[in-house]
Amino acid sequence: MTRLYWALIATAAVAAVVAAWIIYVPGPTAFASGSTVALNDYKDANPTGVPASLASADLVKRGEYLTRAADCEACHTAKGGIPYAGGLAFKLPFGTMYSPNITPDKETGIGNWTDADFLNAIHKGIAPDGSRLYPAFPYPSYTLLTDDDALAIKAYLFSLAPVRRVTPKNSLMFPFNQRWLMAFWSLFYNSNERYQPHTDQSAEWNRGAYLAEALGHCGECHTPRNLMQAVNNKRKFAGAVTAGWRAYNITQDKTSGIGSWDVEMTEKFLAHGHVEGLGTASGPMGEAVDMSLRHMTPEDIKALVVYLKTVPPIPDTSLPVPKTLLASTFPSDHEVNENARGAMIFAGACEACHGWSGKSPVLKYADFVGGRTVNDPTARNVAQAVIWGVTRHSPDGVVTMPGFGKAYSDEEIAAVVNYVTARFGAEKSNITAEEVRKIGKQASQ
Amino acid sequence: MITLQINGQPHDVDVSPDTPLLWALRDALGMTGTKYGCGIAQCGACTVHLDGQAVRSCQLPIGSVGSRAITTIEGVGSTDAGAKIQKAWLDLEVIQCGYCQSGQIMSAAALLAQKASPNDDDIDAAMAGNICRCGTYVRIRAAIKKAAAA
Repeated sequence: MTRLYWALIATAAVAAVVAAWIIYVPGPTAFASGSTVALNDYKDANPTGVPASLASADLVKRGEYLTRAADCEACHTAKGGIPYAGGLAFKLPFGTMYSPNITPDKETGIGNWTDADFLNAIHKGIAPDGSRLYPAFPYPSYTLLTDDDALAIKAYLFSLAPVRRVTPKNSLMFPFNQRWLMAFWSLFYNSNERYQPHTDQSAEWNRGAYLAEALGHCGECHTPRNLMQAVNNKRKFAGAVTAGWRAYNITQDKTSGIGSWDVEMTEKFLAHGHVEGLGTASGPMGEAVDMSLRHMTPEDIKALVVYLKTVPPIPDTSLPVPKTLLASTFPSDHEVNENARGAMIFAGACEACHGWSGKSPVLKYADFVGGRTVNDPTARNVAQAVIWGVTRHSPDGVVTMPGFGKAYSDEEIAAVVNYVTARFGAEKSNITAEEVRKIGKQASQ
Repeated sequence: MITLQINGQPHDVDVSPDTPLLWALRDALGMTGTKYGCGIAQCGACTVHLDGQAVRSCQLPIGSVGSRAITTIEGVGSTDAGAKIQKAWLDLEVIQCGYCQSGQIMSAAALLAQKASPNDDDIDAAMAGNICRCGTYVRIRAAIKKAAAA
């Protein structure tokens, strides 16, 4: 009897430890050694706020910079809609959620919010009526923002023209429609603490950490989530699928991450969303560059890269070393015979911009060579680009790839996607029409 | 002001660098032989040569052209391949309504300059992006082969 009793206790203890290990996630900068201090006790340059060049600008101007750095616009704008007026649909396995209107309209936006209301939402994920916000709104990241920075963002949002636009109702299934449950979630996964600088790291690193974690919230897409749908920093920046697109591994792993990119390349990729031989950011990362990163000062981009360069490598064996060789000027008979349908569609619809070699004859943004997208054997992002198209508001002007989702069948899209990865990537994909159909529906609309 | 090298001559255009070459050619320079079809590189009507390579001018921002040589339908007849293609086109009466044909000729001339004796697969690969709603494809293929044999 006693033995059984102890066996039960031991089992329960082991289960508790396993459960705790599953539930527990480290903080976003826990990977860095050394101790942290409260911002007020940090002796080096202040990592928060705006860059020095904007330090004497007025509150709204500073708020504009920070709002861009936090990339509020990407989620709070419907496709083709008025910026910040909300309505972007997030297609989740358990229903659809819509981003709210955050223009200062008093009825349909946040025009009645006080400073305290705004801070409560940003830091705690609590709306003015006391209801809980869903962590699709990345308050576990924004909680790191200082009060000053959060209120500068509010001042900028309140300087915008109010837009009357009622946010569509979420259609989430039980129990996900129970907002109060988020109170428990927040207990575990929202630290409700402002950013604490690491004293062992440089001021530049701390600025980069503040930009990446508090403002830019990179990990919300690039870090996989745990069972509880919290950002799992045990696998920080190791890559995940968000809104139907694959947010790639941005750890310093040289094969599957961005460890082989030097500082200059990484800076350029963040500021332009394209580097020759590394491909082009499209989908949600294209938006992150166009709406947020490319508006940041070179010093801030540099600080971000200083920080990114210290993120520990996590290998992902499903991703090959990107192929850097150009394909031939014309298709070989072998390739055409293997996937005749894909080759035919590529020749008619894709080749004019992308070229047979993978180096675009017209637009550098249309280069394939060396890009992770064509070197991903799941071909998820190639499929999304083909289905929905790509629009980049790049530093060189607007660049558009039309969406082909309504022009070609799922079978045809699968064929051309598999042709593209086989021709331009290190490993060919075998995506099916059924997968194309499913993937297309996961994109935010 | 941007200077473009078109058909061997420098041309100054006063448009922003993100303007597609097609607009600079047609609207700024009045060279209307190059046609606007779809505007999204799906039809081939706007094809010109950039350093001998067939490109869709509707998708080519003039800011990225630099000093590279542009050849349009107005100038392609002064190249060897272009002259052969144009002669074969006339000999076989390839053209029906004609709207797509400057693009067809530009793509065919670029192909012939790269491959002196293109086979059917080469022709498919090079010409698939040029659409003809009159359906002159059979004559186009025959004319390319005739030009290659000339």
